[in-house]
Amino acid sequence: MTIQKTKNGSELIIAPEGRLDTMTAPELEAELKASLDGVTALTIDLTELEYLSSAGLRVLLSAQKTMNNQGEMKVTGVNETIMEIFEVTGFSDILTIE
Amino acid sequence: MKNNRMKDKERSRWKEFRDRLTPDPMFHETEVQTNRLGALMLLCSGVILVVILILTATGVFPLSGNLMYSTTIQAIVEILILLLICRITKNDAWWLKPLLLIGLVIVYARLDSMLTHKAAILMVIPVVFSSRYFSRRLTVFTSVLSTVVFAISAYWGATHGLINLNIVTFPEGTQMIATGGFLGDAIINAGASDRMLIFNTMLYDFLPRWMMFSIISIISCNIARRGRDMVVSQHEKDVKSARIESELNLASGIQADMLPNIFPAFPDRTEFDIYAAMDPAKEVGGDFYDFFLIDDDHLCMVMADVSGKGVPAALFMMASKIILANNAMMGKSPAEILTDTNAAICSNNREEMFVTVWLGILEISTGKLIAANAGHEYPVLKDPDGSFELVKDKHGFVIGGMDGVRYKEYELTMKPGSKLFLYTDGVPEATNARNEQFGAERMVDALNLDGDASPDQILKNVRRTVDDFVKDAEQFDDLTMLCLEYKK
Repeated sequence: MTIQKTKNGSELIIAPEGRLDTMTAPELEAELKASLDGVTALTIDLTELEYLSSAGLRVLLSAQKTMNNQGEMKVTGVNETIMEIFEVTGFSDILTIE
Repeated sequence: MKNNRMKDKERSRWKEFRDRLTPDPMFHETEVQTNRLGALMLLCSGVILVVILILTATGVFPLSGNLMYSTTIQAIVEILILLLICRITKNDAWWLKPLLLIGLVIVYARLDSMLTHKAAILMVIPVVFSSRYFSRRLTVFTSVLSTVVFAISAYWGATHGLINLNIVTFPEGTQMIATGGFLGDAIINAGASDRMLIFNTMLYDFLPRWMMFSIISIISCNIARRGRDMVVSQHEKDVKSARIESELNLASGIQADMLPNIFPAFPDRTEFDIYAAMDPAKEVGGDFYDFFLIDDDHLCMVMADVSGKGVPAALFMMASKIILANNAMMGKSPAEILTDTNAAICSNNREEMFVTVWLGILEISTGKLIAANAGHEYPVLKDPDGSFELVKDKHGFVIGGMDGVRYKEYELTMKPGSKLFLYTDGVPEATNARNEQFGAERMVDALNLDGDASPDQILKNVRRTVDDFVKDAEQFDDLTMLCLEYKK
């Protein structure tokens, strides 16, 4: 997995590419932990994401909780497969998906 | 009496000596390897000596005859004896390392006495080799022994070995006439004094050589000590990882025993048949199933998947399973069970783990199944005369994800002959080498291969189809399935 990061003032776009699973989720978690300070608008772009496991969902949830306290978070570029995962797990009610 | 005590003392000293030379078990392997290396060095030296012998015999090497032969042959005999000992002991005896080191020092010193300054490097070989035993004491011993033995060989070689022309001094005014041949022979014929040769050799040859040798000795001591540290720390790591592995095996045994895994589970209940299996991808996993009778008429079934894998997931799984079962046994409805479990888990969940849960309670007498779904996969239901189909039920959020979530429940009806299949995402997300997922569609097809089979057989059919699909690719996620057949 590679993580593309674009920062523009207090706006941050994070785009994980590849597989977000048990092996790679800690990487994204560390990346988010390190870069969320002072961010008020977080966009997670999943356009290039091939696979999302429950460990990846946990990272998204954790980011959502952090952003609840300091601004807004939205998830973009969600393909059909990943949308289904969001719906099945109830994440579609928690996340702002565009 | 006194004599006996002396003997006892001697014996205990001998034992102490022996113990000191016997390596700690963790060094045993490296010691045998080093002995083997020593034997190899001896073999190489023997071959070189034979070559020297041939070259001398054919006159290519201009060494003074008889002495050269006897020294070389003596060295070859020593090498052969040592090699024989190595062979008999299979390089494995506590006394072999001092014997090898002493042997090597003597063999090389013998050569050194003939070749003198031409083969100055011979002196360092035993010390460098000794560092491979990873014992500083042994390297120091070899260093001291080398100093003494090579001093003797230099002393002896000054008058018997190759003459180093650079150190020969003659009294002022000496004239020398050479009539051909080697200069060294001419000098010996001219009557250079032995005292001068010995004195000059020790001072100009041996002393500088010994200085370089002492530097290499220090380096060798350091290598021996560092090598020892590395072997010790590697051994500690090995012990630790073996312990972790055995603990993981134990943990996976405990985890497996937490789930009802004796089938038939309810041999005296003819109204239903239930079968389940869990196959974790790692030693311990985060999936679980559960089923138990709340009372005579109510069977509770759980299928759940904790986020992540390994030990953290397994710990979270244990807690979730117990909280769910406790809430269920209190006679609550599925939605209440999930709502209360979520509240209990969210109250203290700093690691932000979560678990997806499908929970259903079957009223055995009527076939009424009330279920609630906290972010788990769709269940699959088969009517008596129909085929297996996904039930697109309503989903709540995962348990442990967010505080204060309320879950809704829904009702299904099981008719006699109906079957219910529950699973975790490991089944539809099983991935083959081409990175394709098994998918829900293939899973439903596998269920319908023989929809009338027993729950046990249906799980086997799915498992086999998944295995055929995945083939050689590594099992990435846990595979957990449960099948219920309602009979009455």
